[in-house]
Amino acid sequence: MKRRFAGPLLLGIPTAFLLALFVLPLVSMVVLSFWRTENYHIVQDWNLGNYITLATGGAYVTFLIRSLVMASIVSMVSVVIAWPVSYAIILYGGRYRLLFTLAFAVPFLTGEVLRVIALQGLLGPLGLINGVLMSLGAAPLRFIMYTNVASAIGLVYLYLPIVVTVIYLSLLNFDARLIDAAKIFGASPARAFFEVTWPLNLFGTLIGFALCFIPCLSATLAPRFLGGPNGTLYGMAMAQQFGESGTWALGAAMGVVLFLTSILAVLAVCLKVDLRRTGFTGLGRG
Amino acid sequence: MARRLTRLLSKYALLATLAVSYLFLYLPIVHIGLGAFARNHAFPYPPRWTLDTFGRLFANSLYQSAFANSLILGIGAGALSTALAAAATLGLMRHAGRRTGFYLVLFVAPLFVAEVLLGIASLIFNGLFLELQGNLVSAILANAVHCFSYALLIMATQLYRYDWRLDDAAMVFGASPLRTFFEVTLPLIWPGLLGAFVVTFIMAFNNLEISFYLLGATPTLPSVAWGALRYGVKPELYALATAVNLVVVVGLAVMFVLMLTGKVAFGHRPERERAV
Repeated sequence: MKRRFAGPLLLGIPTAFLLALFVLPLVSMVVLSFWRTENYHIVQDWNLGNYITLATGGAYVTFLIRSLVMASIVSMVSVVIAWPVSYAIILYGGRYRLLFTLAFAVPFLTGEVLRVIALQGLLGPLGLINGVLMSLGAAPLRFIMYTNVASAIGLVYLYLPIVVTVIYLSLLNFDARLIDAAKIFGASPARAFFEVTWPLNLFGTLIGFALCFIPCLSATLAPRFLGGPNGTLYGMAMAQQFGESGTWALGAAMGVVLFLTSILAVLAVCLKVDLRRTGFTGLGRG
Repeated sequence: MARRLTRLLSKYALLATLAVSYLFLYLPIVHIGLGAFARNHAFPYPPRWTLDTFGRLFANSLYQSAFANSLILGIGAGALSTALAAAATLGLMRHAGRRTGFYLVLFVAPLFVAEVLLGIASLIFNGLFLELQGNLVSAILANAVHCFSYALLIMATQLYRYDWRLDDAAMVFGASPLRTFFEVTLPLIWPGLLGAFVVTFIMAFNNLEISFYLLGATPTLPSVAWGALRYGVKPELYALATAVNLVVVVGLAVMFVLMLTGKVAFGHRPERERAV
């Protein structure tokens, strides 16, 4: 008797929670994006004005494209770094593997603001790199302070730990005997990697990519404190609509655009992948 | 011969990448750590030691109340999201049946929505449609949404290999579902719960983008740090970042000692030693 209630209760409460506090806010953001703001007041007349502003005001399109390029580059660089790192931890970590992975997560656990502060200490005009260069008598590197390059370095710094963790977990749950089998049948290590290890861990890699891409696309902190005058990204411009300029309706429209863009990007990546071929075996219920 | 050489080369290439990545991650942290303890905090080489910045940090009442608020936020959001995620994981594994796909998509969806979007959407919903002022409760609820998915994933990886026949056995011997849960399931899954709570606590404690939009004027540690950062970095911020980092590093060091003495294995299983 009680068992029949357990399922609906266990699943129903989280579902209700998410519907009320996750789906409803997103819906209200969509609703607001069709209204307009006048002198800090919301006027409820339905129109497409905000979207027209976004499509025709050149700056917003530039910000969006710049953010897309930035997020793609940063995610790809992170994946390229994260693969050898997690592979090295899996191969040579021994019994301290988990500790090596956690050591990667330490910076992640200290909060974005504090890490941006740390990065300013590294990249800033008085930071470590330029300080060392100047005390050696060399000219400071201009491209790593208040430029898009600095933003990109900052974003890699911020989100690399997520990618490493996801790829590490993917490799950890991967059955190493498959490689042994490939090698027994005469595959070279490189061929075994590209025909067995890589495709079977592609799903994990893509999740890592997406979990880096989405926050990068809407980054507000790194471009603000590391990027220069030409470094405004879309998320930063959106946040300003709710702070400095007070145009909530336009900000909501920007939010909708950002939301749709990230969903489209994730879908585009996922549709390219044949789940079966990546070793996805259902939802893990045995 | 050539094969052994490539093997050796690839080994050192991998290890070198690992070392460089650690250097990249930790260099800024060590740099500001030195800055926090040094009188010449902008470029602390060689450092002239002092503890003044920490004194000023701990005497500052703004940082104190911000710390208290962050603590409340972290504990509230961590506990709420862990409890909800535990229910969701158990339900997903045991009761979802053919609708598993639907629930799974809903439950992990917050992962794919950026924090700043979640913050703004919640601000619009609370401020405009419910006409609520920002406060700690709404910030806890909004943070819990984001933390929920992480807690779910952490618990799912832990419960992946849980043997549900243990529960069935308890039930066969006449235990009620509640008693089964508290006497069989809970004692076996608590490491997953604890892990999820610790991680979600840390996430909510450090969160800026969600909390910022929902708190109004209530200060939290990240928002105070953000405000100070806007007006130029002060040495107090170095001290704050260093204090937080020290807590985390000490936690890891304790784990290392426990593993070294063999008290806890933290999921390390010798039979799964060789992977890849």
